Amino acid sequence: MGAVFALIMGNFTGLLGSWLRSNTSLSSVGVSSVLTLGAGIILPWISSQGYVMALVCTSVSYVVMSDQKRLTNQSDLIMTSSICSLLVYYGQNLLVGVGGRLGTFAAISVIVTGILKKLKNRGDKDVYDNICCGRED
Amino acid sequence: MRRQFVILLPALAICIQLFLPSFLLNGKLVLSILVIISIYANLKELKPSIKQLFLTSLISVVGGVGTFVLANNLALGPVIASGLIGLAGARLLSEERQFQLYLGAFVGMTAAFHFTTIIPLIFASALGGIYWELLCESWQGVGGRLGTLAASAVLTLLLITGGSF
Repeated sequence: MGAVFALIMGNFTGLLGSWLRSNTSLSSVGVSSVLTLGAGIILPWISSQGYVMALVCTSVSYVVMSDQKRLTNQSDLIMTSSICSLLVYYGQNLLVGVGGRLGTFAAISVIVTGILKKLKNRGDKDVYDNICCGRED
Repeated sequence: MRRQFVILLPALAICIQLFLPSFLLNGKLVLSILVIISIYANLKELKPSIKQLFLTSLISVVGGVGTFVLANNLALGPVIASGLIGLAGARLLSEERQFQLYLGAFVGMTAAFHFTTIIPLIFASALGGIYWELLCESWQGVGGRLGTLAASAVLTLLLITGGSF
């Protein structure tokens, strides 16, 4: 049940963040900060699992900072948000207390989504280089 | 790949935690050497200006210390603290400086049991700023890149000081 809640909150954060980036003048850092603050203040107050959900939303807010070349459409965003939410939820015991671990989960999610897209479109033995060095198709 | 080892360090650390829980001191020594080689390779290739490195590190340190103090001394917690620092940066700084401040904020989210005094935090934040300059071409446009660089900086410091992760 907790994982389902994490998926819902993560995807909601991703979609809200995407909307904020498209419809406000906030920078990517500003959007992420607003989402992080909102999640950090509201979620622990309304649920016993609120703090974990706040971590999920914070990590997805970093996904939202991705360039449009990385997340080209809503389905990419939903896939990445979902992967990120599950990574954060099930990876709570990984790199405990290390600053930047939520960002690491977000980055892994973005890269995994990119790899899955590339594998789906064509077999490419240089998938890693294309994803991580940002080469165009 | 040698130059990108630093940014891959957090992912490697996760794999070690998952698949090699009995990772020994010798293994951490090997990782430390690989990190040093990677930093050297980046410095040799890019030759960044000292002034730029200093400014970036300084902004990162401000973000790191500010977040750490808000999170621990004012008991706001790391999530709210980083959000506040990020929002302040978004209002006051240029886009590039916002990223550097936010990167520092992520370093500042490190738990107090890893950084028992402020000195290692300052070093880690400064290192985060240096990694920003050295790895500017890596993982461009990938959301979470700042956090990964921050985690790399924190893990580098933990490796060098013998901390556990």
